[in-house]
Amino acid sequence: MHGVRGACPSLVGFMQNVGMVISLFAFALVGIVLARGVVGKCFTLFPLFYSYMIYVFCGSTIMYLVYWLDPQVYRTAFWLYYLVSILVEFTVLVEISDQIFRRFPAIRNLGRAITVVISAIFGVFYVLPALLWSPGMATALLGFALRASVTKAVVLAALLVATRHYGSELGRNVAGLMLGFSIYLGINTANLAAARLFGRVLYGDIYWIMTPVGYTLCLLVWTIALWERSSVPNVGEMSPVVGGSSDAVALELTRFNSELSKLLHK
Amino acid sequence: MIMLIYAAIAIAFLILVIGLLQKPEALNPGDTFGEEGYAPRIGNGRWLDLSERIFDPSDSRWLQEELAFPKLAKELMVGRKRLAVQWLEALQASFDDLVRTPDFAPIETSESNAASGWRMLWLTVRFKLLVSYALLVVRLFGPYHRLIPSFSWVPFSSASERSFRRAALAVGRTSH
Repeated sequence: MHGVRGACPSLVGFMQNVGMVISLFAFALVGIVLARGVVGKCFTLFPLFYSYMIYVFCGSTIMYLVYWLDPQVYRTAFWLYYLVSILVEFTVLVEISDQIFRRFPAIRNLGRAITVVISAIFGVFYVLPALLWSPGMATALLGFALRASVTKAVVLAALLVATRHYGSELGRNVAGLMLGFSIYLGINTANLAAARLFGRVLYGDIYWIMTPVGYTLCLLVWTIALWERSSVPNVGEMSPVVGGSSDAVALELTRFNSELSKLLHK
Repeated sequence: MIMLIYAAIAIAFLILVIGLLQKPEALNPGDTFGEEGYAPRIGNGRWLDLSERIFDPSDSRWLQEELAFPKLAKELMVGRKRLAVQWLEALQASFDDLVRTPDFAPIETSESNAASGWRMLWLTVRFKLLVSYALLVVRLFGPYHRLIPSFSWVPFSSASERSFRRAALAVGRTSH
């Protein structure tokens, strides 16, 4: 996806070549991540993440083909792909949110709930206004991409805080997914803000370099983190009362709630 | 200016991520409470009895109204308030230990499991909200304040309650 961002036809000379090299390197990394996923049998463990990687791989291949075969169509195709990708990136967040509390039956869905609630609130009150009330098409697109990045960063930060609060150990794979994605989001947020402020003339060339650089760094972290399947992290001792079964935990949760309700009704 | 704000957001975010990705200290159940043998668990009857005594205002009323020791009654109330806060915090800590209980059984992704997962999450969130509310009320108004506000002062509510009771009685009579 972002691998081809550096190959925008508006670039000329050295910057274009640098962007193209970085993009090709990112494309190769996507291939490596997918290949390691097959070898390490990680596909079943992170189905959403690998679906996203397949989307990126296929999307980038198609975009390169369009670029070489019909440069006239490329610009339209690029922006369409760019917009769809902004939304598809949320699957990485959903995957992370599904993984972080996987071993805790009481809060197994907490991550997904955090992701959905924050995304919905930010989507309605922060991201959509940028699309609806921006003066021009370019400003609207940049604003949308910037605000979507900030939303993803907020979701990721909330997930990290929740993980920390419940003392959940992430393991190398999930921690790598989070670190890589946060590097990408951090760079992307600063990059998009700069692009919006300085405009195409001043910042255009740097933008087309920085975007693939951020994504390549993210892919590097993902490649290292997902090189092999990490073992289930130590998630602390089992409660002597419930012994870890989901049904027993559900029963205890109900008891806690009914005792507290009794106290409140006194 | 906006650029600076977003750059600051990006940097703060990266610092936060790196800081939070540090390995957290392993939490053991009961770490929150230093006294050995004191295990605040919902299945522990003595511990639940303790709450009955902490939140019962009869001792304080007896001191104030029958023995006419308002100062002592006030001191008792302050002590009970502290105990009530500790009890609620212990309940919360015990609940957090339960929430942190891992399940190593293979996870089945059936529809019923998904529904039960959401139900458990609702119970967790509900408990957290209720206990936070209870802590707030105890801290602000003391342990003898009603945790659920009474609406008896609303004339409409008492009238409607009376008419509701009358209707219920009538239904009861006709059914017998």
